[in-house]
Amino acid sequence: MEYDKILEDLLGRKEFLIVGKSIIRTDALDKALGRAKYTSDYIQPGTVVVKEVYSTHPHALIKRLDTSAALEIPGVLAVYTGADVPGENQIGYAMPDQPFLCDEKVHFIGDPIAIVCAEDEYAAQEARDAVVVEYDPLPANFTIDETLAKDAIHIHEGGNIALTSRIRKGDVEKGFSEAKVEVEGTYETPYQDHAYIEPDVAYAFPEGAGKVTVIGAMQSPFLVREKVAGVLGWNLNQVRVIQALTGGAFGGKDDTGPLVSAKAAMAAVKLGRPAALVYDRFEVTAYTPKRFPSRIHLRTGVDKDGMLTATKVDIKLDCGAYANRAPYWLWRQTVHATGPYEVPNVHVDGTAVYTNKVFGGSYRGFGNLAVHFAVDSHMDRLANELGMDPVELRLRNVLTVGKRTASNQLLDHSVGIEECIRGVAEASDWAEIRKPRRKGNKVRGVGIGTAHHGISTSRGAPDWSAASVILNEDGSFTYRTSICELGQGTPIGHAKIVAEIVGAKMEAFHIEIPDTDTMANARPTHGSRGLALGGTAAADAALKLREQMVNTAATLFECEKDRIDLRNSMASCKDDPSKKMAFKELAHEMYVRGANPAAYGFFTPPRRFFDPETGLGVSYPAYTFAATVCEVEVDLETGQVEILKIWPAMDVGKAIDPLLIDGQIHGAISHGIGIALMESIRLDAGEVINPNLTDYVIPSSMDTPEVAESILVEKPYRHSAFGAKGVGEPAIISIVPAISNAIYHATGVSFNTIPITAERLHAALRRGGQ
Amino acid sequence: MNLIPDVEVHRPKSLEEALKHMEAPGAKPLAGGTDLIIDLREGACEARNLVDLTKVKELDYIREFGGRIRIGAMTHHTDLVASDLIRTKAQVLSEAANLVGSIQIRNLGTVGGNICNASPGADTATPLLALGAEATISSSGGVRVIPLGEFFAGPKRTSLNPGELLTELSFPTPPAGSGGAFQKLGRRKGCTLSLINIAAYVELDGDTCSEVRVAVGACAPTPVRITDVEEMLKGKKIDEAVIGEVSSACYGLVQPSQRAHSRASEEYRREMSCVLMRRALTTALERARGNK
Amino acid sequence: MKVSFQLNGKDIEVEAPGNRALLDLLRDDLGVKSVKKGCENGECGACTVLLDGAPVTSCLVLAPQVEGRAVTTIDGLVDDPFMVKLRQAFLEDGAIQCGFCTPGVLISSYALLKGNPKPTADEVKKAIEGNLCRCTGYVAIIKAILHASERI
Repeated sequence: MEYDKILEDLLGRKEFLIVGKSIIRTDALDKALGRAKYTSDYIQPGTVVVKEVYSTHPHALIKRLDTSAALEIPGVLAVYTGADVPGENQIGYAMPDQPFLCDEKVHFIGDPIAIVCAEDEYAAQEARDAVVVEYDPLPANFTIDETLAKDAIHIHEGGNIALTSRIRKGDVEKGFSEAKVEVEGTYETPYQDHAYIEPDVAYAFPEGAGKVTVIGAMQSPFLVREKVAGVLGWNLNQVRVIQALTGGAFGGKDDTGPLVSAKAAMAAVKLGRPAALVYDRFEVTAYTPKRFPSRIHLRTGVDKDGMLTATKVDIKLDCGAYANRAPYWLWRQTVHATGPYEVPNVHVDGTAVYTNKVFGGSYRGFGNLAVHFAVDSHMDRLANELGMDPVELRLRNVLTVGKRTASNQLLDHSVGIEECIRGVAEASDWAEIRKPRRKGNKVRGVGIGTAHHGISTSRGAPDWSAASVILNEDGSFTYRTSICELGQGTPIGHAKIVAEIVGAKMEAFHIEIPDTDTMANARPTHGSRGLALGGTAAADAALKLREQMVNTAATLFECEKDRIDLRNSMASCKDDPSKKMAFKELAHEMYVRGANPAAYGFFTPPRRFFDPETGLGVSYPAYTFAATVCEVEVDLETGQVEILKIWPAMDVGKAIDPLLIDGQIHGAISHGIGIALMESIRLDAGEVINPNLTDYVIPSSMDTPEVAESILVEKPYRHSAFGAKGVGEPAIISIVPAISNAIYHATGVSFNTIPITAERLHAALRRGGQ
Repeated sequence: MNLIPDVEVHRPKSLEEALKHMEAPGAKPLAGGTDLIIDLREGACEARNLVDLTKVKELDYIREFGGRIRIGAMTHHTDLVASDLIRTKAQVLSEAANLVGSIQIRNLGTVGGNICNASPGADTATPLLALGAEATISSSGGVRVIPLGEFFAGPKRTSLNPGELLTELSFPTPPAGSGGAFQKLGRRKGCTLSLINIAAYVELDGDTCSEVRVAVGACAPTPVRITDVEEMLKGKKIDEAVIGEVSSACYGLVQPSQRAHSRASEEYRREMSCVLMRRALTTALERARGNK
Repeated sequence: MKVSFQLNGKDIEVEAPGNRALLDLLRDDLGVKSVKKGCENGECGACTVLLDGAPVTSCLVLAPQVEGRAVTTIDGLVDDPFMVKLRQAFLEDGAIQCGFCTPGVLISSYALLKGNPKPTADEVKKAIEGNLCRCTGYVAIIKAILHASERI
């Protein structure tokens, strides 16, 4: 069915009661009282302390591993190495290239070699330091060029290329021959740390001999279950995974969740005791996956009318030690390589390479942050060359209904990027603020960035979601999904969808935390799919439950089903106001009459087609679009940039909760400012040299700009509940180019590397900017 | 990161008692703890005998006496910021203290701790140097007073002898016609370490600069005065043009770290020393002119 | 060593080794889980508590240092009128996302309003510069604190 039409087709309402209205989050009070429970708050005294022994070499063979001294330390219970792994000593996400505990070879500084288990933190620390690892060091590759050199040592057996991707659409050379202006450039983006405030953590306890429960910080409870079961050599139903409230994730905990959980679970199972692994900030910053760095070479042509004629892109993705999410990242970058613009001739080559560094992983915006930084920088440079306004150039080329993406996907609905661009241009009074403004050593500039971001898995890989809802005997509802609450509030969005459909009050809902023993797999909380897919599964469950409720009410009221109205937790007959009943009574009647008070929902988007040879096909079910205008002030003497104001706009399909969307937009602005101006994990010979929040600097409250009211464009996606599309990831993508283009406008310096630190900008100005 | 190692914490209630504890081998004072506890976790502090000065209230004061402003070593940054005396008479110190860490750090951290930690970029060091501060050092054997410049011996090193405590920082009360200003460059706007900081202090006699002291942080192994710049200004007529000229001399006068992993490059710090010096002196001059 | 202090208005005495951080003492020995551990470096502010009424990062305080002093966590301010107003504004303005930084942010905001009930936006930003929030971008937090101040 077309879920965006639920309102008209089924509810028969002109106005939504809950969907589209901002509410107070159902979890906010507990959080404000400090009573919300995160994983570490569950850990009981007497729990075994687990710590990891990490590789100190970026690339080496393990010659000898001696745990005997560590085992002598009082309070030490066990030291486990790869040889002790009962199941599979392999935990690679997309490719089997990642040992769970390295037993033959290490691939980066921070690769886990063993886990130590002790009665207390001090004994565990001492044991960690007492494990003797003798290495046979190998040459290491730290850069893309080093690892692609002909004589480079192989990091993994198959060589240093993890995978490649491509698009061949039209004829780029012909396209370039039609161009009046061409620009070319190489854009580099760094490792970015998620810097979630809650460090990674897992707490596991055995339940009898053949079952273990893991409570942890994660984004995909069922992925964690799969990995834990794999390491233990157990069936899936022997592992119960509970996602506790998670203190920020931004993609990172999708990768770390399985890794820390499996270690805690292995310790708990082997020792028959509760065990916990709690990272400190050093481990989080130095050893957990980061935003994949990439180097994107872009060549773009535009004709005299400002129409894009061709784009040629070469993407080099630096995986670090393991591929992890690299296939998905690279595919996403490949398919989005033209930005939200139609280009008739597209040629993309992507290569993901291994290096001996901390590996990359999921991070809000996925590869699209880097891609749109490159594309939108080019749009401004092209506009400059053509003498055309950057907004005008974008509007001429922007994707609209009937146009085709880089992978030749025809967009037949739900395309709101033009409205986003026009919206931010108007709100910011673009023509006016583009006028040059300099005062003393300060110069102001304004720039625009854009974004498109596919919902769900890449390349048409199968995707689905599940949910369940129970109407309890007292008229209250229990909602379950394994889509995780990470701060973004997606499960609350689900509950609002369910409440709207079944006509319940929000207060009647309790949202259970994800628990793999009590629900079907809703799949991960990533890929901007949590609301669009997870929420639609919720809608499916709600529609089934609603049918039971309506049937029962119709029987009781002796009226037609389509005359039943459900709202505010009351059932009534539209024709006879005297016929009404609170949900409490209705629930009771349903139970005694044998009407099913519970429903599972399931959703899978329409099938897609994708040809890996040409890179053409239907890549994603839908796209979220965004545009941002940013105003900066540059201190020409110091190179410092102050972000003065941001104007955000997004095509969200349907705003289920505008306040939650604002929260995503504001948070993404801060992450975007961070990577645009200050954030970068720095390495020296594979070692992270800024592994703390003192030297890995993220924006503080004082770095917060003024943010204009969000412009929410609503172009519903036909197949999702009420038409909603994901917002958290797309929100960050347009921020970086908006900032860099504003700096370009202010100073004449177009940066192709971020972060644009004061020092870098100062040096660039010295070299011949303004 | 490591766990805090086993330490013994002594809790004296008086200076006399504290000095006695300081005689124990390897004793180290624990003032606000904002640097020391991090050092303990990072294995950068060997001391296992900590003398907690929290209860030594006699070291917690800001007062003007005998023509000098005297600040007890256990005075918190927050108290420096809140002090009317400091704000009106030594604004440069007030400004700097307000830029130390965050409110949480300023509530814990003390001026004595900031000085004794001897970070090259310590935010209160440069204003105190610019104010011509002296350090009062006590031990069971007695008291000695040295210019603050002689207190710093290198990055994270001081000239304190075993058993000695920094007890007071004092400087002559700035007269009418004086003005000071603090400039700091960090990697973000809030709660940030100094990539470089500069404090300037001038006294005017008409439009002649009768006294001037400037100090720079994070541009040498210790916070230092730039006496060459001071000499270029002292006794001269001073205005914005003159300031611009002398400030550019900073480039060759500062000695920033050349380490590859520094928080900022040597070149950038040299360039910024000129910019910040000009800005600090310009504001100091403005304030001096307004301080009738 | 023995440490006597006031925790949320109640006198208590605990046995704590010299290397026990106040943060660990509160969380692990006294079960005060609202105080969060984020960095142990004084940078993130998730462990912020009031020490004699002033916000401090409890990761940078050794247990012996609180002898004779008053420690207040968010649990001790549940019914405080300033906190009630702050909490309500945080809820209404969407200032809470993952919630991990929230207790620390509320403590810092509370200390601000206690000393300065009508702060400017810049004063608000300054007061919470030591509380890192990675979810909200601070926009809603700043707005909520200003709203709370209007209602005081």
